[in-house]
Amino acid sequence: MSAVHVQLLNLSAGALLLSAVLVLWRRELVVIIRVFAVQGIALAALIAVLGAVQGSLELAVFAVGVLVLRAGVLPGLLRYALASGPQERRETRPLVNVAASLLAAAVLTLLALAVSQPITALAPSSATQAVPIGIAVVLIGFFVLVTRRRAVSQLVGFLLMDNGITAVGFLTTAGIGLVVEVGVALDVLLVVLVLQILTGRMREVFGGTDLDELRELSD
Amino acid sequence: MTPDLPALGLPATLLAVAPILVPALAAVVYALLGWRPATVWVATLSAVAVLGSAIALASQVLRDGPAFAVGGVLLLDPASTYMVVVISAVAVLAALATPTYLHAEIAAGRASTRTAARHSGLVQAFLAAMALAVLAADLGVVWVAVEATTIVTAFLVGQRRTRTAVEAAWKYVVICSAGISLALLGIVVLNFAAQHLNSPRLGGGPDAGSTAGLTWTGLEAAAAQLDPGVTRIAVVLLVVGFGTKAGLAPLHAWLPDAHSQAPAPVSALMSGVLLAVAFYAILRVKVISDIAMGPEFAATLLVLVALASLLVAASLLIAQRDYKRMLAYSSIEHMGLLALGAAVGGPAAIAAVLLHVLGHGMVKSVLFLGAGRLLQITGTSHIDKVRGLAGSQPLLAGCLGVGVLALIGLPPFSIFASELGIARAGLATGFNTGSPLLGWATAAALVIVAVIAAALIGHTSRMLLGDDHKTLVPAREGPGAAFAPIVLPRSAAAALLLGLVATAALGVTTGPLSALLGAAAHTLTGAQ
Amino acid sequence: MSLLGTLGGTLQVAVIVGGSPLLLGVMRQVRARMEGRRGAGVGQPWRDLRKLAGKEAITPRGTTEMFRAAPVLLVAMTLVVVVVAPFVTTDSAIPQIADLFVVVALLAHATVVLALAGIDTGTAFGGMGASRETTILALVEPTVLVAIFALSVPVGSTNLSAIVGSSLAHPAQAIAPGSLLAAVALIVVIVAETGRLPVDNPATHLELTMVHEAMVLEYAGPDLALIELGSAMRLSVYLGLLANLFLPWGIATEVGVLALLGGVVAFAVKVAVLGAVLALVEVFLAKVRLFRVPELLAGSFLLALLAVTSSYVLA
Repeated sequence: MSAVHVQLLNLSAGALLLSAVLVLWRRELVVIIRVFAVQGIALAALIAVLGAVQGSLELAVFAVGVLVLRAGVLPGLLRYALASGPQERRETRPLVNVAASLLAAAVLTLLALAVSQPITALAPSSATQAVPIGIAVVLIGFFVLVTRRRAVSQLVGFLLMDNGITAVGFLTTAGIGLVVEVGVALDVLLVVLVLQILTGRMREVFGGTDLDELRELSD
Repeated sequence: MTPDLPALGLPATLLAVAPILVPALAAVVYALLGWRPATVWVATLSAVAVLGSAIALASQVLRDGPAFAVGGVLLLDPASTYMVVVISAVAVLAALATPTYLHAEIAAGRASTRTAARHSGLVQAFLAAMALAVLAADLGVVWVAVEATTIVTAFLVGQRRTRTAVEAAWKYVVICSAGISLALLGIVVLNFAAQHLNSPRLGGGPDAGSTAGLTWTGLEAAAAQLDPGVTRIAVVLLVVGFGTKAGLAPLHAWLPDAHSQAPAPVSALMSGVLLAVAFYAILRVKVISDIAMGPEFAATLLVLVALASLLVAASLLIAQRDYKRMLAYSSIEHMGLLALGAAVGGPAAIAAVLLHVLGHGMVKSVLFLGAGRLLQITGTSHIDKVRGLAGSQPLLAGCLGVGVLALIGLPPFSIFASELGIARAGLATGFNTGSPLLGWATAAALVIVAVIAAALIGHTSRMLLGDDHKTLVPAREGPGAAFAPIVLPRSAAAALLLGLVATAALGVTTGPLSALLGAAAHTLTGAQ
Repeated sequence: MSLLGTLGGTLQVAVIVGGSPLLLGVMRQVRARMEGRRGAGVGQPWRDLRKLAGKEAITPRGTTEMFRAAPVLLVAMTLVVVVVAPFVTTDSAIPQIADLFVVVALLAHATVVLALAGIDTGTAFGGMGASRETTILALVEPTVLVAIFALSVPVGSTNLSAIVGSSLAHPAQAIAPGSLLAAVALIVVIVAETGRLPVDNPATHLELTMVHEAMVLEYAGPDLALIELGSAMRLSVYLGLLANLFLPWGIATEVGVLALLGGVVAFAVKVAVLGAVLALVEVFLAKVRLFRVPELLAGSFLLALLAVTSSYVLA
């Protein structure tokens, strides 16, 4: 792997992490979706760099697929889900305030770093050194999913997790097989569609997607 | 690295794909023809066909040994075929009771024939996905199939479109997808470990040339060479991830909501087998973990998860006010027991765990079907609003009462035998082989199980006994009201009785299943 | 103490003391043009300073020596930084204290001195401004330290000259994720620390939410001139550090008329461009509510921390 490739790889990994942090930082749902699309581009770039290094056509195709799905289709679906409800533009009251969640993200990143030591140690290379960043994105995505109240923010949290997992997958190995890869992409797409339909139904019966309204079922 | 297993001829291949193909075709039938008198019993026929093929597969595996089918995509071994038997047995019970349930819903105006067709089609797709999840040879395909069950059942949970149903569906999809994503991360990490096997030839260093793939058999064969540090991360992620889907703490929050809001036959399937399918994945991961890192690691992890689940279930069961949620929390309890049994390990405990899966699946689906029936008759799921059921609905009350007795582990039902097996193996392993954690955990679990049993008996006896017949006037209005005939139709009654009789029979003797159980336990303890 | 360092130190003092009011003038002019005004011209801050310096010195009744010493201390501490930090030349006049921690501590001390002076007046505005400034300072300081530390990780030294020299030698380092994250964190922090929008509005004395201007409300005459000069110098110092840490091109590495001239010109151009961009961005920004400021700064702290992490991980 040449120095330029390493730089580009690191750059796209950095963009991946930065966009995850920005999702945590910003309140406007439209901006969050845009940042998510940027992350999709960063992920595609990451895979493309890996493909260029290994001279693999398969990875190049995956990069294009990821670009279409994660920077085009999924943000489009999210925007559509957002557009059908006119009043909700902002993530108003996250369970953990933004300053605290940013500090939590710092802790999560350090945690990811500590946890992924064995992975980097097993096969040290520029690619596996970026694995902690992928795991940090997964953790930040999980955090968004747990602490945000808007349906769209939760969706973005779930998709962040998925982006992180995909990044880890391509950084550790050249993907995990075509069938599984396609299956995973399809599953993610379907989950988003299902959740989007549920968002619509939620608006029908609750008149909004503030998930705080979801408190009828509890013990 | 994959051990060479024999491939199958065409008839055997058809038999192997039948558990997946038959429900898939039935789903297509419902999609094309809709819900009409001619298609009402297609679901039942499909379930019976799957049961037949499962039994045929199991006997074939016992006779000829494990085999791959469809170019190595499906793995037929005692454990996977046993799980297909479990799935199809519960599916037969649920399918028998489904027409009655749907007719009552349609009569109450809460469903149309279109809803009924979609329900039936989705349930068949759900069965196909579960069969694929247990039969798949590749961990990645298992993941895809388990995630597919989430997607398919999301609409079944939210079928009634009420506030509570939509809420339950949202929580179900979000929590399960997030949890299963963690499992995907675990698979990715495990795949990485499998591609960098430590080779004894090179003095323990990574061996670039060898890779184990992601098949269960390949991973088991190569497990001794997996890097322990990386495998540890993967195992934690896989147990937490599939544990989410299996309703184990800490990511269990979706379970009571989804099980209480889903239509009764779907609750029966989800509680009876979906949890067990996810748990089956954990059992297979444990085999790899035990070889790679020794049994202590997975055992500790599973004991923690098991005790947390048992505590959650007990604390929320004691003051439970909703009978469907009561059954749901009892499922968390039983999943905790399964986790404990898996932690104990060894052929005896694993055989008990597998028997428990079958017994719990059948009893719990009987209870959910009965509870669904009760909800249709009374229009309420509050325990307090149901009184004196034994007087007005003796058959339903009898089934529910006997079902709860079976559930808490009274003889002669098989749950008694399996709980006894787990407890004996746990205490024996714990105090004889010097791992006191297991022993004390088993003792604590027994106490919790006793508390839960008392709570269940208390709640159920309040519903069944007493003399206030007035509450049992069929409610014509209210959220759950239905114009259900007071007399239980024969098919639904047959489902309830069949489930209880089968569980009791299993408790007396496992009969022809003994060989399969033994072989499956053998497979799942890492002895090839 | 090398010849290059001595020459650099002298030149830097001349360039920054003479140039920072002009930088302020440039920024105001850019702003005015963007808002459709003609503006007062680039030299206006100098004319203001001359006018203030010619006035009689007034100190409010009841204030102590702290109030009188603060302007001098502010300028003096900033001057030390100006002398030692690598702006025009890579070598430092006093290399021992051209250290990350020393420089940051000096700049922080200058703020503390001003805050003390604000409290010393005993007026409502002075105390309020001081309390807000210290809040911001408490959040800014760790961020600056961590961000520059991220840059020092690949170099293996916290000496600013060494960091600048290293990024001069390895230009590719500028696009490493660690550097980029640190750059973003530093920009946010510099905006907050120098009292610019969206954290504070430098152009108003009328808002209840003002921070920096509230502290210095009681100053007049030559004292005010010193404070204005000191604040302008701080802005130049921060922008200069930002420019040279990430884009050190043009800085003088050897003694020579051309090299030194080139260093001065490059420095002036870089700082002027950065200042103009800052002013340009400010036109489009509204002031953030004060209780949102911690959020902004927590974010930049996180970025700085991520910068350190990725410098370690991806190195």
